[in-house]
Amino acid sequence: MSLSRGIKQTMTIARRDFTATVYTPAFLIFLLVPILMFGMGPLIGMGASDMVRNSQTKQRLVVIAAGEEATTIRALDQYGRGPTQSGNGGLPTLRIDAPQADVAAQARALFKAKDIEVRAVAFGPLDHPTIFFVPEARGLATYLSQLAEQSLRAERSGGPAPLSHATLTPVTPEKASATGQSQAAFFATLTLFVLNMMLSGQAVGTMAEERGNKVIEILAAAVPLESVFLGKLIAMFGSAVLFLLFWAVVLGNVAKLMPPAMATALAAIAPAVGPAFPWLFLAYFTLSYMLLGAVFLTAGAQAATPREIQMFSLPITIFMVLMFGFSLSAAGRPGSWQQIASEIFPFSSPFAMVARAASSPELLPHLLAIGWQLLWVAITITLGARWFRRGVLQSGSPRSGRKRR
Amino acid sequence: MANDLAVSADGLVKLFGQRRVVDGVDIKVPKGSVYGVLGPNGAGKTTTLRMLLGIIEPDEGRRSLLGQSHPRDASDRVGYLPEERGLYPGMRAREAIAFLGALRGLPWKTGRKRAAALLEANGLGHAVDLKIRKLSKGMAQLVQLLGSVVHEPELIVLDEPFSGLDPVNQERLEKLVLAQRDRGATILFSTHVMAHAERLCERLSIIAGGKVRFEGTVDDARALLPLRAHYVPHHPHAGVRALLPADAVERDGGWRFIVPAGGIEPILAQAIERGYGISGLSIERPNLHEAFVKIVGREAAEAGEPA
Repeated sequence: MSLSRGIKQTMTIARRDFTATVYTPAFLIFLLVPILMFGMGPLIGMGASDMVRNSQTKQRLVVIAAGEEATTIRALDQYGRGPTQSGNGGLPTLRIDAPQADVAAQARALFKAKDIEVRAVAFGPLDHPTIFFVPEARGLATYLSQLAEQSLRAERSGGPAPLSHATLTPVTPEKASATGQSQAAFFATLTLFVLNMMLSGQAVGTMAEERGNKVIEILAAAVPLESVFLGKLIAMFGSAVLFLLFWAVVLGNVAKLMPPAMATALAAIAPAVGPAFPWLFLAYFTLSYMLLGAVFLTAGAQAATPREIQMFSLPITIFMVLMFGFSLSAAGRPGSWQQIASEIFPFSSPFAMVARAASSPELLPHLLAIGWQLLWVAITITLGARWFRRGVLQSGSPRSGRKRR
Repeated sequence: MANDLAVSADGLVKLFGQRRVVDGVDIKVPKGSVYGVLGPNGAGKTTTLRMLLGIIEPDEGRRSLLGQSHPRDASDRVGYLPEERGLYPGMRAREAIAFLGALRGLPWKTGRKRAAALLEANGLGHAVDLKIRKLSKGMAQLVQLLGSVVHEPELIVLDEPFSGLDPVNQERLEKLVLAQRDRGATILFSTHVMAHAERLCERLSIIAGGKVRFEGTVDDARALLPLRAHYVPHHPHAGVRALLPADAVERDGGWRFIVPAGGIEPILAQAIERGYGISGLSIERPNLHEAFVKIVGREAAEAGEPA
């Protein structure tokens, strides 16, 4: 059979599947799933943040001091917190209590207070302060000890007023930093993983339709099973690309509304290969989708019922998470055997290579990797089709030594 | 000779596990003919057809489809209606037919045009834009059949095409098969309903237990059984019995018996000579069903009887 005929047959399958997927109300829901995801994220975040804020507003640091000493400590605390720590989420509010007869007992009693949550209490002379603290607040205890030290120094140098007045000027780096490249590698790998998680898993149930309504017999008679598998993958990939285009347009417009400071911060997350990165990302997305989609499709093709499909998709999802974790940990060890292994192992290779594109400027390894991954797409599809033919269509392999055509 | 054959199979064997589902089947289907593969349920008909079409591979034997030893190389010239019918329920009838044509290399646009014409010609004009899930089982089956012929294939393989159809649609299907034959196509179909085979087939194979038990024309099959006579004497008399073969039984006001090897003429001559006369005489040819029962055995034949 000619290549052009094979391509035509593949595209016939792809066309049918694509239209069957996209021209349905279910696709609209699928398209809008990220709204739920992005919507739920802030909601959960706000809830968690409220809980933390509520608990933090009750937290207190207490210094038992009087007179000039108390004034100096308060002034130094306000100065030391600075603009970033003055609000919620920073250090707990400092309270200064006047000393009573038994200061140690007074300090201990503070931890039993109902209306506030005392984390640490300092009392005694500034050169030998005693600090009580709850076990998880050692850092706060240290802060109080430093406050005592600074207060003592301020007393000896004539007061708590600052002696140094710095000028703060932000500077944008002209080239991407190693940190920025690392961040780019992480985000690229994470994005690739999330996209695959969301999209390639869709392939698991596609053969079930053909099995369920018996169309598979007609397809198998007319078209090589490899074309059926590839056509289905292309169709699912087409709908995934449609999904991505939709969200690229939406997010592109949202980005225009981004504050300049955030845009500057994002600009620092720059991949090492430069302008080629989007193309490499697209190539690795395509290949990872095809590779993992083919695995999903192959496993799903063996399933006869929706329950079996669910059973099959769980181990593959775990496998996908493993590939992501492997690539990510390997990306953090440049030049190690783990990095080389994750780049060679076909199912982790797209994740590992997209990380490499972000952190290393060479382009040649990407050409090799793309060729290697393409080969594995072909191998996976061929093996998947054979397994399906043997398992589902009940065609045993010819026995050795027997004549057949 | 090989060029005159649309399909040839030589010693096809298929094992499912240790079981020889098809055991050395030979089939030769002349071009332009209607050829039936008959057999009881589980005889191996479907497996044989699937091997011929390249859906599954034989464990032994050779096959050739429209001159191609690899069936896939001829797939664009073949139409196939599988035993287990299958269409996408969300597709419209016209699209479904065009899709089946497109799988066989027919451009979608041409497929859509032909689909509308075929649906119209087969009494389904109103269903052109109906989704498959809205069609009755018989209508959907007809749509699938039209999908298997929309690309005007040289060979049409139909696996149990009549099962599940009501008499009206069975007649429609028979007409469609004959129309395709008249167009020049070869039709190979399997069935366990003898009446259709008797009306349509020029040649047939009878398969049972994975083996070919008979190959030839319908007449050849019938000829495996002797002719039967029903003789009604003009003057019934006890002496008539003596003239007739030993297997003769009195029934329906006359005598029924197998026509002996020497023919019926000597018997009739004696009956006239003795004055019994002839009030009625019919020579009955056995039908294909009877031949089938004889070939495959009553038990196997009854297993294949339609419900």
